[in-house]
Amino acid sequence: MTDRLVQLAANKRARTVITTLGLPVPLPQTLKRGEGGWSERPLADRAVVVASAANPELTDILARTLPLAGAEPWLVDTPFEPFAAAGEAWGRRPHDGATGPDKPWAIVVDATGVRSPADLRGLYDLLHPRVRGIARSGRIVVLGRPMSAEDVPAVAACRQALDGFVRSVGREVGRKGATANLITVAAGAEERLAPTLRWVLSPRSAYLSGQPLHVSAAVRATSDVAARPLEGKVALVTGAARGIGASIARRMGEEGAQVVVLDRPDDAELASGVARACGGRFLPCDVTSPDAADTITSFLREHYGRVDVVVHNAGVTRDRTLAKMKPERWDLVLDVNLAAVIELTAALDDLLADDGRVVCLSSIAGISGNVGQTNYAASKAGVIGFVRALAPRLAERGIAVNAIAPGFIETRLTDAIPVATREVARRLCNLSQGGLPVDIAEAATFLASPGAHGLSGQVVRVCGGNFVGA
Amino acid sequence: MSPRKKKPAARRAVIVGGARTPFVRAFGDFVKIDTIGLGVAAVRGLLDRTRVPWGELDSIVWGGVILPPTAPNVGREIALDLGLPASVEAMTVTRACASGLQAITLAAAAIERGDADVVIAGGSDSTSNAPVTMPQSLVHKAAPVALSGKSGPRDYLKLLGEISLRNDLIPSKPEIAERSTGQLMGEACEDMAERNQVSREAQDAFALTSHQRAAAAMAAGRFDDEIVPVTNPDGKTVFADQLVRGDTTLEKLGKLRAAFKKGGTLTAGNSSALTDGGAAVLLMSEEKAKELGMQPLAAFKSWSYVGVDPADQLLIGPALAMPGALERAGMTLDQIDVVDMHEAFAAQVLSVLGALESDAFAKERLGRDGAVGRVDPDKLNLHGGSLALGHPFGATGARMVLTMANELGRTDAKTALLGLCAAGGLGAGAVMEAVD
Repeated sequence: MTDRLVQLAANKRARTVITTLGLPVPLPQTLKRGEGGWSERPLADRAVVVASAANPELTDILARTLPLAGAEPWLVDTPFEPFAAAGEAWGRRPHDGATGPDKPWAIVVDATGVRSPADLRGLYDLLHPRVRGIARSGRIVVLGRPMSAEDVPAVAACRQALDGFVRSVGREVGRKGATANLITVAAGAEERLAPTLRWVLSPRSAYLSGQPLHVSAAVRATSDVAARPLEGKVALVTGAARGIGASIARRMGEEGAQVVVLDRPDDAELASGVARACGGRFLPCDVTSPDAADTITSFLREHYGRVDVVVHNAGVTRDRTLAKMKPERWDLVLDVNLAAVIELTAALDDLLADDGRVVCLSSIAGISGNVGQTNYAASKAGVIGFVRALAPRLAERGIAVNAIAPGFIETRLTDAIPVATREVARRLCNLSQGGLPVDIAEAATFLASPGAHGLSGQVVRVCGGNFVGA
Repeated sequence: MSPRKKKPAARRAVIVGGARTPFVRAFGDFVKIDTIGLGVAAVRGLLDRTRVPWGELDSIVWGGVILPPTAPNVGREIALDLGLPASVEAMTVTRACASGLQAITLAAAAIERGDADVVIAGGSDSTSNAPVTMPQSLVHKAAPVALSGKSGPRDYLKLLGEISLRNDLIPSKPEIAERSTGQLMGEACEDMAERNQVSREAQDAFALTSHQRAAAAMAAGRFDDEIVPVTNPDGKTVFADQLVRGDTTLEKLGKLRAAFKKGGTLTAGNSSALTDGGAAVLLMSEEKAKELGMQPLAAFKSWSYVGVDPADQLLIGPALAMPGALERAGMTLDQIDVVDMHEAFAAQVLSVLGALESDAFAKERLGRDGAVGRVDPDKLNLHGGSLALGHPFGATGARMVLTMANELGRTDAKTALLGLCAAGGLGAGAVMEAVD
């Protein structure tokens, strides 16, 4: 479970020796991650460069979001006035970004006004001189408008160009533990940018890189909450006895949720421990058993009368190449990973509260496919289709439905991979290291928060910018 | 921050008088008088000046920051030391630098609730007598040996071998550091000066005014009714505040080195100094004042206490608490005749004043359409403030209430607004009014 290279790279002397000798050893940066719960000012005292390409459209939103989140704004080609007013209120007056800062935590490029290839040059002009200076574990975020087939083709081209640009920047800054991501903001959804931007700029998105997030107004709006986002919410987390599920349960408990820790009765001991740690309740249940839906709904009804957040995390692998795979292996994986998700969602429909959140765990294998995982990849791709179709159906009730596709995460599952394969797999991403369960838990917590009302029907890849998959 | 939802008080608490010790630089003439002694001096002065019958006293509510570990209920010790009737009960509260005001508003609340008729409230602090504590590591190593009846010479020898000179025996330097952030208050205020763009020149000019006004007040005898002379154990009697420098100049202030940060703007000249002192006021119900034939000076219309994140702008609290108190009083800043603000640092007061003047601050932080308003410099800290007079933590709020009560009782001023910042990201505000 320990990544020796991350440890080695964290040793200054070893780092110097390896880089001086030019040894071909990857030196992954120890990533900065969030500590404790969400705070009102997740970007406290961090220098954030706000640079605008042609005709920025989000300046006012950024001026209201960044100083409030505690960031020190440094402006490049960006209107000063909105930032001056916010700076006065929060004691975060804007600085001239032409002269600094040294090693900014983040660079936010407002490229919402990009409409022609000439406008795209702005991205180069703004980031070319600054990309090297980004802090370790820093953030580059490009803000754009969503590409749609209804766009004038030239405009659509430029909007799609941002996607390729960000993916490549992510590959380049990964050495420093820094990430690059794209957030598109649909017309009319501008007011919903803040929570997503705060999360992407914060250390809580450590393992998110090279990804597009699309903020839209599809879901009925709820109000943004900066701290303790899950206070008063009832969250059901399946497969929560260990690994990613346990981490999700703990993080959600920390943010104020009443967590229902669901796992198989065999794992009672572990699951009860998780429930104790997150102040929640253990619900013993095998999601594939015929009476699972009844057990879960009656438990929720009895104790809470509703559920606000459902995290479909329970999952199994039974790897074999297709030719060698026994039918039981196929059936089990499809039952746990897909059929149970579909059935449980249907059973919970009455109990799922308005403004609720559904988070399904997919996998990068569901996007790229993998040798020996026909069953697993089919189930995880199925989850993506499920999320996309379910999202618009629940939007009117204010319920956001999203999937998280983890990349290589250091868990019991990945520990079982043979050493050589594991060592290679870890390095196949921008950040040259595996993620931690908490990275997925942070994403799930964000997607469960009221502020995630801008995102629905999406697949958020938390994969460190994995080299495989679309 | 919402206006208080309650019926108008049936009773009103009024301030009829008070007294304070001279304020003296720490480790100066009061070094041998502890916080209880300073409280005794202030309360004795109050009793002498007001001539309130001792039998009428219900209680003492006292405020302090550095409380003596062996006798933390300073208020009760004061009552006992003065030989007040045993029935005069007492409590001691702390709200960092707003402790004195906290004690007084608690007393007013008790009177207005009908819990008491006559209360002495105030505060004191002796920074000279802050306990220098043994490092906890030494206590943890030594206590089991020293406190056990079974310890023999061998145990003591073993203990000696375990004690490290550097880690266990050298006491840590006492500093006003935030427990949660580890930041010194001056460092936090240095950040505020930078973030709110408060210049060194503006800070020095503000400090100069504070000294000049305090010196003028002293020369005019304005504090004569407030200050009681205090004789120290060495027989020296102190008659007046000792930190005021009426003859200081911008040049002199400008030459001082930055005190908290290289290249910073806060200096010993524009920061309040560690001070020893005590202050007290006498509060009673309006009816009781009439019955005793005492002339009320002032009363409270409202007060407000707030908290902000100490890791953000530690001392910005008054910018929220002062508007809060105004709102509860149903008043606006332009209806206020005099404003008294605790001057922890010039940069802190100027940051707060800037926030009160800012439309953006009002919109974002107070949910109002426009700025709270500009505090007229001619109405602010008329007789100087903590920069010139000094800042014995627990006494400062009581000193401000006493000075404002006299201002309201003796001049045409009808209303006063108070503002204090305090460690932990706390802020306090209060509106006082004259009593006819």
